[in-house]
Amino acid sequence: MRKFSFLMVIVFVFLLTFSAVAQEPVTIEFWHAMGGFNGEIVNTLVERFNESHDNIQVEAQNTGSYNDTLTKTQAAVQSGSAPHIVQIYEIGTQVMLDSGIIIPVEELGREVAQDNNFDWGKFLIPVSNYYNVNGQLNSMPFNSSTPILYYNKDAFREAGLDPNRPPQTFEELKEYARKLTIRGEDGNVERYGFTLGIVGWFVEQMVANQDALLVNNENGRSARATESYLDQEPAVRFIRLWKEMVDEGIMLNPGRGWDGAKQAFLSGRAAMMIESTAQVTNFTENAKNDGYELGTAFLPRPEGVDRGGVVIGGASLWAVRDHPEEELKAAWEFLSFLTEMEQQVYWFENTGYFPVTKAAVEHEMNGQFFAKNPNHLTAFLQLLLSKRSPATQGALIGTFPEVRQIVEEAVEKTLQGDLTPQEAMDEAAARVDRSLEQYNSLYE
Amino acid sequence: MKEQDYDSHFSVPYLLILPSMIILTFFLYWPTVQSVILSLYRTAPFGSRKIYSGFDNYINLFTDPTYRASLVRTSVFVLVTIFGGLAISLILSVLVNQKLKGIKIYRTIFFIPYAISPTVSGSLWVFLLNPVAGHINYFLDLLFNIQIPWLTNGFFAFIAIIIATIWKNMGFNIIFFLAGLQSIPDSVYESARIDGANSFQIFRKITVPLLSPTTFYLIIMNIIFTVFQSFGIVDIMTQGGPADATNILIYQLYRDMFVNFRLGLAAAQSVILLILVLIVTFFHFKFVSKGVHYQ
Repeated sequence: MRKFSFLMVIVFVFLLTFSAVAQEPVTIEFWHAMGGFNGEIVNTLVERFNESHDNIQVEAQNTGSYNDTLTKTQAAVQSGSAPHIVQIYEIGTQVMLDSGIIIPVEELGREVAQDNNFDWGKFLIPVSNYYNVNGQLNSMPFNSSTPILYYNKDAFREAGLDPNRPPQTFEELKEYARKLTIRGEDGNVERYGFTLGIVGWFVEQMVANQDALLVNNENGRSARATESYLDQEPAVRFIRLWKEMVDEGIMLNPGRGWDGAKQAFLSGRAAMMIESTAQVTNFTENAKNDGYELGTAFLPRPEGVDRGGVVIGGASLWAVRDHPEEELKAAWEFLSFLTEMEQQVYWFENTGYFPVTKAAVEHEMNGQFFAKNPNHLTAFLQLLLSKRSPATQGALIGTFPEVRQIVEEAVEKTLQGDLTPQEAMDEAAARVDRSLEQYNSLYE
Repeated sequence: MKEQDYDSHFSVPYLLILPSMIILTFFLYWPTVQSVILSLYRTAPFGSRKIYSGFDNYINLFTDPTYRASLVRTSVFVLVTIFGGLAISLILSVLVNQKLKGIKIYRTIFFIPYAISPTVSGSLWVFLLNPVAGHINYFLDLLFNIQIPWLTNGFFAFIAIIIATIWKNMGFNIIFFLAGLQSIPDSVYESARIDGANSFQIFRKITVPLLSPTTFYLIIMNIIFTVFQSFGIVDIMTQGGPADATNILIYQLYRDMFVNFRLGLAAAQSVILLILVLIVTFFHFKFVSKGVHYQ
């Protein structure tokens, strides 16, 4: 009898230990670049996932800006402590593809996790087009945005402009800005018609909006890009407009980066600006609090040029290959959870980043969200009405972060009057070509 | 008494410096050697490819007009910052060296900028210099009716980071000048006064020469501060712009490493900086014992 109970105790202990092992959740590390309010939304999504999945524990960590996150991932890979999932901005796509550390999400879902229920066609075409390279989806679309024109409708009324007819062409933008600019008695500008932060992204988008390419080889999608088209008319034309408007004193140059322009627009120092759609919620709130009416519109383009469209911006989620199969499967669970409709709707309504799946968009259409939030609709229509072409698919450039800096410098040189728009862009194109040549030679 | 047998203790000094040698080797010498090795390679992002390229990185740097311009720009920046900064600090420390009521409070106020982080001080100057809502332009507009494009014009941006760097390092300089001033014996001043020297003469002929060891030390320290530590201020205020106007060597290095992902090129730049610092240190050692006036 004593032997029997002893045996029972042992069996019991074993059972306990094994069940404890079975319950030990798989831990997934997820690095992201969403700070502040958006970071909290990410944390909520992660909590929801953890609550509904007993066997998986996702640990989300904010790793700073997009650029910091890419840098930290590189360092982590070299020291063997890479996360499972990492959020990388759209311009890091080519460098991630070349990194040799990632597992394409399509391979992860189909082959590692054997998930046959996942609908690979669920993503919006403009979104999946960007992240589809070499015939498969490489990273999971997550936060997507495009630029739109924001304007102050009250200022339009004051200046005798129709608040429901925003500028559609470069020429109109200039004309409107002229009318919207207010000068004080001393000649100093009190309100500028337009403002734009010096950010390379806007130049890229303006080129795509004219249905033109940024680099050769179909924007680097049929083969590695070897030549930049920054010195061609679509890009130069926009820089010229920028220069002319700043020189005329109808456009405020707030310097490099996003904050200056945003501050100028929100404080009423500028009547129009171009910013990311991720700001729609923020700007709408601000307009409500400050008591003015906010308008939104598609990006303007030069008169007589065919409309291309906008390229999806923002970031996507990449899976890192060098992890045990069990953990990769768990990573897939999390990625696929994020694309479910409820999460997409929650993400969109709280952050202003686009939902990336068709189901979520349909839900918002039926729920009258767009009818109640016309500014969100503008953002969305602009994306959906974009022409499908390599121009709007977005460029793949290995040294894209560097290219952006080169473009920003060229804009600065133009605005300072060091170089003419054409000279500055010739120089920029030459520098980009050299950078591409050096990058490509690493992978020959 | 038995004579000390030094030979039998041959290993003792080595044992004594061993702990610091181990730390220095792992955290200083080994990374330095690695940088030198890395600078001879071209490395792909994520380290997936590594191609030996000899001195190509160095050749590329010195044939790159951007880098050469950055070298010149950094020299100007360092010279202006150091001489401007030391002159202002010296005047201020003579002022706060007086015996006044509440002088300690003034001294503390001048030291505060040194104690706050470069990020905070950079942001502070961005607020102050903001063209739309900044206080500096507000007062300039009020007084002279001018609006200066501080951070959007290359020339003014360069001035702005010089001002911010001087302001940031002033506390450190003042503390050392104060210590130097207080170590000058009163008797020297007294006899000068008896001989009929006015305060300007005393300052020129006594204070400045007797302070020269402190000044020399501060010049060396400030070179190192401005070359390396102004990174934070540049990053926050201008990101090297507009149009490279504030792109100093250390910022260019950061860009090549963390934005352009050119490991080899960045390593080559750090080796160049290392050589520059070695030269400065060499002069430091050489002149500390010779040319500078010590009592």
